[in-house]
Amino acid sequence: MGAEEKFDVIVVGGGPAGLTAAYVMAKAGLQVVVLERGDYCGSKNMFGGIFFTNVLRELIPDFEKDAPLERVVTKRRWSLLTPDGEIGGGFKFSKFAQEPHNNSYTVLRAKFDKWFSEKVEEAGAMILTGCVVDGFLKDEKGKINGVKARMDDGDIYGDCIILADGVNSLLAKQLDMHRELAPESTIVGVKEVIEFPEEKIKDRFGLNDNEGVAYEYFGYAAKGAIGSGFIYTDKTSISVGVGGTIKSLMEHKLNPNDLLEWFKNHPAIRPLVNGGEQREYAAHLIPDGGYNRLSKLYKDNVLVVGDAAGFVNASLFHEGTNLAMMTGKIAGETVIKAKEANDFSEVMTARYEHRLRESSAMKDMKKFRHLAHVLDTTPQLFEKYPVIMEEFVRDMFTVDGESKNAKQMRLVMRLLRKENPISFALTGLKGRRVII
Amino acid sequence: MSKFTSMEDKLGLDKFTLFHQTHLKIKDGFKTGEAAKKLVNDKLFICPAKVYTLNEKDEVVVSFENCLECGTCRVAAPEAVEWEHPQGGHGIVYRLG
Ligand SMILES: Cc1cc2nc3c(=O)[nH]c(=O)nc-3n(C[C@H](O)[C@H](O)[C@H](O)COP(=O)(O)OP(=O)(O)OC[C@H]3O[C@@H](n4cnc5c(N)ncnc54)[C@H](O)[C@@H]3O)c2cc1C
Ligand code: SF4
Repeated sequence: MGAEEKFDVIVVGGGPAGLTAAYVMAKAGLQVVVLERGDYCGSKNMFGGIFFTNVLRELIPDFEKDAPLERVVTKRRWSLLTPDGEIGGGFKFSKFAQEPHNNSYTVLRAKFDKWFSEKVEEAGAMILTGCVVDGFLKDEKGKINGVKARMDDGDIYGDCIILADGVNSLLAKQLDMHRELAPESTIVGVKEVIEFPEEKIKDRFGLNDNEGVAYEYFGYAAKGAIGSGFIYTDKTSISVGVGGTIKSLMEHKLNPNDLLEWFKNHPAIRPLVNGGEQREYAAHLIPDGGYNRLSKLYKDNVLVVGDAAGFVNASLFHEGTNLAMMTGKIAGETVIKAKEANDFSEVMTARYEHRLRESSAMKDMKKFRHLAHVLDTTPQLFEKYPVIMEEFVRDMFTVDGESKNAKQMRLVMRLLRKENPISFALTGLKGRRVII
Repeated sequence: MSKFTSMEDKLGLDKFTLFHQTHLKIKDGFKTGEAAKKLVNDKLFICPAKVYTLNEKDEVVVSFENCLECGTCRVAAPEAVEWEHPQGGHGIVYRLG
């Protein structure tokens, strides 16, 4: 990069958060460069998952015309797995098959992020791929005025820097903005993409046309460790995966791939994922620390967005992509204002946090702020309770001629013998408060 | 039953662009002996690509070319793992993601 070249804004990381910020700023006429370490945007990224498109729709209203979308999620199901059973419930709404498709599409990130990066280029931003950023440049007064990329002529100058470098954010850490990821509130997720003929997927999951499912599994889904599993349908493949907190997987001596093999062979899962052609195996972290572990969000000339800042709602809603886009958008708009005022100091960048506090992104983060702690301190939700629940429900539905009243009485008595009712009820309440 | 279950098979599904230099290092004091055994058996076994193994001399072997760049090892054992991103454009290349 020529030494004379200087950008208004440098965005580090070409995932949903960084690309959204870049799109908004490029549209407003700012000189923007996105630096992405992968061979192309998306080449380092994996998720479950459902891409929530509410913010995308604001930016690119006709994205459905050419975005690589897999299926519209019309059917969701949440199950409590037990060692060899399942208790579950969910919904299927044909309304969600119609505009605006509940803003929930399954996508494959390597394809999707690449498409989005092309839109960002069309909007006027420059995207440099294969470019890993290692640190910052400072002027003689110590003010950050650029980044150091690991390549020849890698000094790149800019008035403002948006850190969108994802969950590991080594860069926010360098600036002491990041709270280090903690093993008890960081999830490692692994998944496989398995290819099937389209008809097979529709038959197996009971789907019309381009409808898709999201099945999520709790309880004993990570073999007793604190974690969960998932199945999502793509157009001609399914994504099946499992994850757990690093701390809990270490304690349970579970390697994620071994856990995935176990999960795929669970009697409730196996018929859904069996057969097909395995296409890819992937692993990624999720910052699950919630509101209490968000990074510092701004300083002079620097803003932190998306996973790099810790914006994931890991409750039943499992949202990350939309929070990434929402924080990226608000950061981008903040920088546009800063450019107008030609002031990129904290006075201006602080507006990012002020606006975030008014947004649903931050309100949701706050609502679920106890989640990570509750999960970490309530291992019985993953090991003991699923088994008790199964016994209860299984006996309740066992057909043997016993009267329903007698059955109920007997089961409640047995439950009380096994578990202190007060702690059971309190755990239930605690669990509910952090999940919904 | 899936066709591919072993680590080797799984990683064979993925595309990697190999770089000659490692981006993962074990810090001094953890490279061999009891400390190495403890590190791998208690913590680094958790790597989703099983990058860290012990050889017959109880030295940690780091198969960095198999790394999926997730960061699990740096969170599991920050005291022992020196972690950086591989050279730009190298390492794992997800085609689906
Ligand atoms: C198993 C799993 C399942 C998930 N399921 C869902 C789901 O169903 N729905 C949902 O909404 N969310 C889900 N998420 C969360 C979601 O994927 C993330 O919240 C989202 O991708 C965050 O976007 P981001 O742009 O902040 O970070 P990322 O998408 O991680 O992008 C960061 C980018 O920065 C690049 N980068 C990093 N460091 C550097 C550097 N030093 N120099 C240059 N480039 C760099 C990376 O290569 C990457 O492209 C899931 C996550 C996982 C792991
Ligand atoms: S980053 Fe992930 S895949 Fe790579 S060595 Fe560490 S744990 Fe293993």
